[in-house]
Amino acid sequence: MIDQDLKLNLMSARQQLSPQKILDLIPYSSFIGAQAKFDGSEVIYWLDRRPSNIGNPSLPAIHGGVIGGFLELSASIEILYSLDVASIPKVVDFSLDYLRPGRYKTIYAACTVLRQGKNLVNVAATAWQDDASKPIATARCHFLLP
Amino acid sequence: MVNLKFAIFKPMLKLAMERTGHGAALGFELTKIGRGEVEMTFPYKLEVVGNPVTGVIHGGVIVSLLDTCCGCAAITTLTRSAVTPTMDLRLDYMHPAEPNKPIYVAAKVYRDTSNVVFCRGSAWQDDQENPIAHCVATFMKVETPSISFGNIVRRNFRRFILGKKVYEQAGDK
Repeated sequence: MIDQDLKLNLMSARQQLSPQKILDLIPYSSFIGAQAKFDGSEVIYWLDRRPSNIGNPSLPAIHGGVIGGFLELSASIEILYSLDVASIPKVVDFSLDYLRPGRYKTIYAACTVLRQGKNLVNVAATAWQDDASKPIATARCHFLLP
Repeated sequence: MVNLKFAIFKPMLKLAMERTGHGAALGFELTKIGRGEVEMTFPYKLEVVGNPVTGVIHGGVIVSLLDTCCGCAAITTLTRSAVTPTMDLRLDYMHPAEPNKPIYVAAKVYRDTSNVVFCRGSAWQDDQENPIAHCVATFMKVETPSISFGNIVRRNFRRFILGKKVYEQAGDK
């Protein structure tokens, strides 16, 4: 894929209000099985359970790294979808707090762009399972805009 | 006695990490397991690319690798039946990984207290002094014999050896 293709794909995804189209451009999202949809006010990301995302097979629990990777992916999709950027933003740092164990079921996530500067964007992401008021993890990340 | 236990524990940890769940999906290899020190190697894979234009792997993979590596290092410090869930993980990305090159990861426990284990880790490609990412992670020590690593291994011995995936029957908990 070349830069121009990416730009056109991003524009058409925004026009069709389809964050899933942006996810489809990134191979890592199908590797973990991330999905997204715009529900009218915000974008909801989710990760259905699958054996290849398990960390502790005995409980079973979702791998902590998958939760982190999923939140980082969601944060970058949030930027690509809601801000007018033409290429994939570079992640500078990522900070993750685990609040509850990730059970072997669907994980949901929502992101908020806290600040957009000229070069830097700060995004917060929260993940939950059954109850949005009981998050399983929260993340904070900085991205450099291209 | 402690050394004998650790000698048996090492290949078990390696099998558990490399053959099950997300570890098996990623396909990394644990190259060194010592007390409080773990190293791994991850080959480049097209499935985990994060930028389709440049072919650079996604940052989420680095999160998984460093979380696993730090987690393993934390487990090796345990002397009693316990589990070590991650409390928090912080990553700084120094520069993007180059495509088509393996990534090396190392983690070290720098402080081990009665309740918390403090770890740091880094990931690099050509030069360990010029890492692509650096992380610090803290782990809680939770003493619950029923889900201790040793018991998990004992209960799942066949699955670890054969690398079978039989989680679907386990259902929701």
